Amino acid sequence: MTDHHPVNIVMIEDDEGHARLIEKNIRRAGISNNIRHFTDGTSALQYLYEAPEGPARNGPALILLDLNLPDMSGTDILARIKSEGPLRRTPVVVLTTTDDKVEIQRCYDLGCNVYITKPVNYENFADAIRQLGLFLSVIQVPDVDDQA
Amino acid sequence: MPLVPENAERGVARVLAPMLALGFAALLLAAAAAAWLQSRNQDNAAAVEHTLLVDAKISDFATLVERSETGRRGYLLSRDPAFRTIFVSAAAGLPALAEDIAKVTADNPRQQARAIRLRTLLRRQQLLQAQTIEQVASGRAADFANFNQDPGVALTRQIRAIAQSMRDDERALLRLRNERQHATLATFYTVLTIAGLLLVLVAAFTLAVMRRYTGQLSASRNELRRLNGDLEMLVQERTSELQRANQEIQRFAYIVSHDLRSPLVNVMGFTAELDAARKTIGGWIDRIEEQAPESVPQEARLAVREDLPEAIGFIRTSTQKMDRLINAILRLSREGRRALTPEPLDMNALVQSIIDNLHQRAADAGAEISAAALPDVVSDRVALDQILSNLVENAVKYLKPGRPGIIRISGHRDGARAVFEVSDNGRGIDPKDHERIFDLFRRSGAQDQPGEGIGLAHVRALAYRLGGVIDVRSQLDHGATFRLSVPLTLEAGNYAA
Repeated sequence: MTDHHPVNIVMIEDDEGHARLIEKNIRRAGISNNIRHFTDGTSALQYLYEAPEGPARNGPALILLDLNLPDMSGTDILARIKSEGPLRRTPVVVLTTTDDKVEIQRCYDLGCNVYITKPVNYENFADAIRQLGLFLSVIQVPDVDDQA
Repeated sequence: MPLVPENAERGVARVLAPMLALGFAALLLAAAAAAWLQSRNQDNAAAVEHTLLVDAKISDFATLVERSETGRRGYLLSRDPAFRTIFVSAAAGLPALAEDIAKVTADNPRQQARAIRLRTLLRRQQLLQAQTIEQVASGRAADFANFNQDPGVALTRQIRAIAQSMRDDERALLRLRNERQHATLATFYTVLTIAGLLLVLVAAFTLAVMRRYTGQLSASRNELRRLNGDLEMLVQERTSELQRANQEIQRFAYIVSHDLRSPLVNVMGFTAELDAARKTIGGWIDRIEEQAPESVPQEARLAVREDLPEAIGFIRTSTQKMDRLINAILRLSREGRRALTPEPLDMNALVQSIIDNLHQRAADAGAEISAAALPDVVSDRVALDQILSNLVENAVKYLKPGRPGIIRISGHRDGARAVFEVSDNGRGIDPKDHERIFDLFRRSGAQDQPGEGIGLAHVRALAYRLGGVIDVRSQLDHGATFRLSVPLTLEAGNYAA
C-alpha cells in the first residue's frame, strides 16, 4: 500500500459474525491496516463523508461492502460513492452472499471494482478472504482528490 | 344468467312434430279426396253414358215404331208396295231393339217392367200390323178409312206413351246423376279448401315457431359468445394472478434461502474457528502430557480428544446438509424464474444424449437404457432435458439389487399432447408414497442412496411450467413407470416468468 498514508479499510457489513470472520482471515493474510467496521449504511456513509478522520477528509481508503444492509441497499451506497465527490476513485470490493447474475451486473455497471460472493463452505470462504487480503496487499489505492 | 331455456329445443321439437304430422295429414286428405272424386267421376260418367244409351235406344225404338206404323198406314191407304217395304224394314229391326232395351234396363226394375210391357205390346202390334197388311195384300180389303177403329192405333199410342215415360225416367235419372256429379265436385272442393287452409295454418305456425326458435338460437349464441369472452378474460385474470403468486413464491424462496445462508456462513465459519482452537488446545495438552502425564485430568483429555471433535463433527454435517437443502431451494427458485424458450426439439436426439451422458453410470450399476421412437415437440430444451435426465437418473439409481436393470424410454402422441414414459424394473415405489415423492425433501423406501429429495419436486415444478403433468405407476419390487404428458407445442410467453 502507499507509503505516506496508511490505507484504511472500511467494512460495511451488517452481520457481526461475518465481519469477525472476514477480519480474522484478512489478518491471517498478513494485512495489518486499520479496519473500521459499520453494521448499517447510514453510519457508514456518515463516516465516509463527514468524519474528520474519515476517508473523504483524510487519506485513502478501501471499502468492503455487503449488499444486504438493514437500513439501505448496498447498491445505493455503491452508487453514491461512485457517482460524484471525493471518493469516486476509491476501490470498492462488494463482498456479499448474493450470486444473482443481474445483481452482479448491476454492481459492475455502478462502478464496483471487485465482486466476490461469500462461499458458504467455510474453507472456501476463508480461502477467498485470504486471497482478497493478498490482493489488497498489492493493489495501489489512489489518494483522495480534493479537487474532484 | 339469462341463458336460453334448455328445454327450448325440446319444446320446438314437441311443437314441430305434430305440426308436420298435421300438414302431411292434410296433404293425404287432399290426395284421398282427389282419388275419391276420380272414382266417383268415373262411376258417374259410366252411369250417364248408360242413361244416354238407354235414352238413345228408346228414342230409336220410338222412331222405328212410328216409321213402321206410318209405312203400314201408307200401304193400307195407297197400297203402294213402297210403303210396305218401309214397314217391313222398320218392323224387322224392332224386336231386336226391344230386346236391347230390356237388356240395358236390367238394372232398373221400373224401367224393366216397362220394357217388358213394351215388348209385349210390340209383339201384339206387329201381329196386328202383319194381319192388316196381309188382308190388304190378299185383296180382302177392309175398311181402313177410319183409323180410329183400328186397334193398331191404340197399341201404337200405348207404345208411344210407355216409350215417352221411359225417356222421361231416363232424363230424370240423367238430371239426378248430373246433380250428384255437382255435389261430388262441391264436396271435393270443400275438402280441398279445408286441406289447403290446414296446410297454410300449419305452414304459418311452423314458420312462426321456427322463427322464434332461430331467434332464441341466435340470442343464445350471442350470449355464449359474450360468456366465452368473459371466461377468457377471467382465465387470463386468474392466470396472471397465479403467475403473480407464483413469482411471489419464487421471490420468497429466493430471499429466504438467501437470508438463511448468512447465518449458516457464521455457523460454519465459527465451527471451523472452534476446531482450530481445539487443535491448538489439543496440541498443548499433548505437550503437557508428554512432560507430566498425571497433571492432565482425564475429563480434559476426553473433552478435547472426543467430545469436542464429535460435537464439531455433528455441527458440520448438519450445517452441510442445511447448506445443500438451501442450495436446492435456491436452485428451484432460480429454475422457476428462468424464462422458457420454446423451440422445435428432436426428442430422439435429446434422449440419446441423456442416455450417452448416463452411459457410464448405467454400466457401473449394471443397467441397460434404451429408447423407442419419440414424438417431437416444440418446448423448452433445458426443462425437458432436466426432467428426463432426472427420471432416467432415478431409474439408474434405484435399481433392484441383484437384478440387471432395464430402463426404457418411450413416447407417443395423445391428441395435442406428447406423452413420454420412463419405465424401469427397479425396486419400485410403495403406492402410498406416489404423491409424496414429488414433494420437496421427501423420499421413499430405503435411504441407501445420496440425495435430498429434490429431483422429483424439481421435475414436477418443471412439468407444470411446461403446461404438463407427471405421475407414476409402480408397485414395490416391480419397477416404476413415470409418465410425463406435455403439450406438443408450448405457447411462448405464457409461461415465461
